[in-house]
Parts: sequence; structure tokens; C-alpha cells
Amino acid sequence: MPTVHLHNTDIRFEQGETHDTLLRAGLSQGIGLPYECNSGGCGSCKFELLDGEIEELWPDAPALTPRDIKKGRKLACQCRALGDITIRMPNDAQFVPLYRPRRQHATLVARRDVTADIIEFRFHTDAPAHFLPGQYAMLTLNGARAPRAYSMSNLGNDDGIWDFWIRRKPGGEVSEALFASLHPGDSLLLDGPYGLAHLQPASPRDVLCIAGGSGISPVLSIARGLLSDPTLAQRRLHFFFGARTPADICGLAELQSLPGFSERAGFHVAVSEPGASDSWHGATGFIHELVSHTLGDRLATLECYLAGPPPMVQATTRMLLLDHQVPQQQVHFDRFF
Amino acid sequence: MNAVIDFARFYVCEASELANNHIRQIKPPGHDPVALYRVDDAFYATDDTCSHGQALLSEGEVDEDFVVECPWHGGTFDIRTGEALSFPCVLPVRSYPVQVEDGKVYINLRAGRAKE
Ligand SMILES: Cc1cc2nc3c(=O)[nH]c(=O)nc-3n(C[C@H](O)[C@H](O)[C@H](O)COP(=O)(O)OP(=O)(O)OC[C@H]3O[C@@H](n4cnc5c(N)ncnc54)[C@H](O)[C@@H]3O)c2cc1C
Ligand code: FES
Ligand code: FES
Repeated sequence: MPTVHLHNTDIRFEQGETHDTLLRAGLSQGIGLPYECNSGGCGSCKFELLDGEIEELWPDAPALTPRDIKKGRKLACQCRALGDITIRMPNDAQFVPLYRPRRQHATLVARRDVTADIIEFRFHTDAPAHFLPGQYAMLTLNGARAPRAYSMSNLGNDDGIWDFWIRRKPGGEVSEALFASLHPGDSLLLDGPYGLAHLQPASPRDVLCIAGGSGISPVLSIARGLLSDPTLAQRRLHFFFGARTPADICGLAELQSLPGFSERAGFHVAVSEPGASDSWHGATGFIHELVSHTLGDRLATLECYLAGPPPMVQATTRMLLLDHQVPQQQVHFDRFF
Repeated sequence: MNAVIDFARFYVCEASELANNHIRQIKPPGHDPVALYRVDDAFYATDDTCSHGQALLSEGEVDEDFVVECPWHGGTFDIRTGEALSFPCVLPVRSYPVQVEDGKVYINLRAGRAKE
């Protein structure tokens, strides 16, 4: 079993049979390696190989810039050790997982259409489903070349239930295959939980959730976590959802069924492509514009959770930090690469 | 004798002590840490703490293109202005005027500016 040594530290961890990458090997053993997406998109997990040999699973991963390639930097979420190695990589307590991720078999128990291109997939694992609201798991379909990240929409539970709201990406390798061929009784590999953009129960602030498209899944989990935790009963919830068309709007029914929704929460939608018909009477445009317009100066008093496509997350983060001086520590996001 | 610190003309080091494409951390008393860079034989200074997290830019890397890259999430800044160039860095860091006189490097810590 290859051992990974972090240069200039006494940290060593093993990459075992069930670990498909260096990053996931380290996190599963409680090592605080920096990361965000687990998917080769964000660049948080960069390292330098000082000694030994590695295999690069995705040498063209978009997070590697020309500068990284020039400097020989690699992504820990896209590399495996071939033998004992020494790497230079930061580590910090903030990345140490509260629930150590692990890879296990999960069986699909149900699927339900949410919109024309989002399905809720419900999986069951024998072990309890321990995760924080807003976290995600890596799902590996039989025969797929690589896993994909999907965020849980439900809350952690002892019954081993993991719900995911997954959007079909036209032409996408894994999401198309999930939609076309995964049926109740089928199983796949589920590796998790991962993710740092989870609910912060210790925060004294009211909560702002902003979802773009399939970003609804983790923020629904955060909203569920907030409204069902009695210790957070004083916190209000501002929920914003950016949909492409009116037919893409979802999540309201699930939110309305939460305790105290009508007293404590508000749901706002903006549609970017309302279409030619006059059937849409709500806000049009990008979701960050609606958030800015609706909450304005109050934004800096909120704990903000964002999820969705990278351009939506980046535009929204810029709006929060630059236009409304929201402190950086109050902004939590996952970009769906 | 009490050494009075002149923050407007804060002595850092001899110019010859810092090579091109290197960064040095400075900890002026009572002031946030500052990173001093040398690129193409000119000196620049910015706040050392990244505007995104708690990482130190002086532990990152600077190249000929005047871009410093944070060691933590790889966000980048223009060392000449402190402007944030790439996500996840959004907010600028302050930049400080640097003067070299008789081979000695001084920073004006009173004149830190953040580019909007
Ligand atoms: C943290 C996170 C959470 C997410 N949560 C959700 C969610 O809740 N619901 C949802 O619908 N989507 C979610 N996504 C997006 C999801 O992971 C997929 O990107 C999306 O389903 C499209 O996958 P695809 O295989 O259909 O498309 P493809 O175009 O085939 O693949 C898209 C993505 O797969 C990865 N990838 C591509 N090639 C390789 C390779 N050779 N090796 C390794 N990785 C590769 C890349 O990240 C790429 O962006 C999330 C993404 C991230 C990063
Ligand atoms: S965690 Fe590896 S690139 Fe995002
Ligand atoms: S701390 Fe500098 S990029 Fe995140």
C-alpha cells in the first residue's frame, strides 16, 4: 500500500484499495488537505511531487493553468500514488472532515421527476448516512471512467438514506447515463461526505441561500437543516432560486413543508429566459441582481450559502463582497464544475 | 534612546538581499504583515494576508508577469496595485509605495491603498 508523506511535516497516510485519489485517501484518514470540488475544476488541491511516482487520472483537468504546468504542479483530486511518495501540499485544521468520508456501495431505492430535467435519486447504504447540510458525495457508476460530485438534498440520518437532485446535462457522460439506465435496485459506489460549504450552526446570523439551477440540491439541505434544528429557531431564511425558464423552478413545495416556513422564510425566484409568452409575471434576470435589489444593505448581516454553475457563483460572490461588503467568512459556496 | 518608527519610511532591507521573483515577509510592529516583492529589478509591496483566507502571499509565488499566486487556493493579485485577478480572490489587498535609496529598501506604510 503506497504511503504519502507531506513534506516538512510528520504527516503520513496510506492510499488503500478503496481510495481512488490522493486527496480522498488523505481526507478519509482525517488529514486536513485543502480542496473544494473534488472534480479537477477549482485548483484548491494543488501539490508538488518531490519524490516517487504518481499516475495522473486527468492530465488535462481545467484547474491546471499554464503556470501550474510550467511549475509541474498537480491536482491531488486527480492523482494516485504508484508507490511511496513525498509531496509538498498545505494542510490545515479547517479542512479536517467532521465526518470522515468513505467509499461504499449504495443501492437506488427510488427516483422521482422534479422538473423536466432534474430527477431526485434516493440511495440507501447499509451504514448510516452521516453528513452535514450542504455536503456532497462522489458517485461512480459502473463502467464510468471517473466519479462525479453530487450534493445531498436531504439531511444526515441513521437510516442510510442519501437523496440527490441531479440535472441531466445534455451529452454529459454520467448524468445522461444516470437518467437513462439507473433504476431502483441498481447500485453504484458512493464516496462521501465532502464539502466545506455546509451549514454553520454556530453562526448567530440569519441565513441567505442562493441556488442556480441544480445548485438547488445542497441549499435545500441547508434550508432543511436550518428550519428543522430547534436550536436555530430564531434564525430567518431568505431563499433565492435562479432558474433558466419558469418550467425550471423547483424546491418550493419541499421548502413549504418545513416547520415554520411561512413565519420564518421567504422564497424568491428570478428567471433568466422568461420566453415569449406572458405567462411569467415574476422577476427576470440573473439571481444575484434580484438578491442585491431585494436585500441591499441587509446582506452584510447574513450568513450566505451559494451553489450552482461557476459563473453564477462568481458573479454572486463579487456582488456580496464588493457591492455589499459582506465579510468573506460569511460567504460559503460550492461551484458545480 | 527610544527608536521612533517612521512608518512613512519604514526600512526593510538592503536591495541586494532580495533576488528577482522572490518575496519577503515584513512584520512592522503594530501593523499587519506586508509582503515585499522584487520583479524585474523593481520592488513592490502589498498586504501579506490574502483577501480570501488566512494564507500568506509571501509563502506563495511571484512571476515575471507581476502576479503573485496565493499558496492556498491559487487566487492571484497584481503586486503593483493589489488588485485581485482571479477567483476565489475578489477583494483587493492594499499596496504600498516602495523606495530604494542608496541600496536600501523603504516602504511607506502610511500610504497603503486598495484598488477598487
Ligand atoms: C461540489 C459539486 C457538487 C455538485 N452537485 C451537483 C448536484 O447536486 N446536482 C447536479 O445535477 N450536479 C451537481 N454537480 C455537477 C456534477 O458533478 C456534474 O458535473 C454534472 O452532472 C455533469 O456531469 P456529466 O458527466 O453529465 O457531464 P460531463 O460533461 O461528461 O462531465 C462534467 C464534469 O465531470 C468531470 N470530468 C470530466 N471528465 C473527467 C475526467 N476525465 N476525469 C475526472 N472528472 C472528469 C468534470 O468535473 C466535468 O466538469 C456538482 C459538482 C460539484 C463540483
Ligand atoms: S479539489 Fe481538486 S481541483 Fe478542486
Ligand atoms: S486564501 Fe488565498 S486564495 Fe484562498
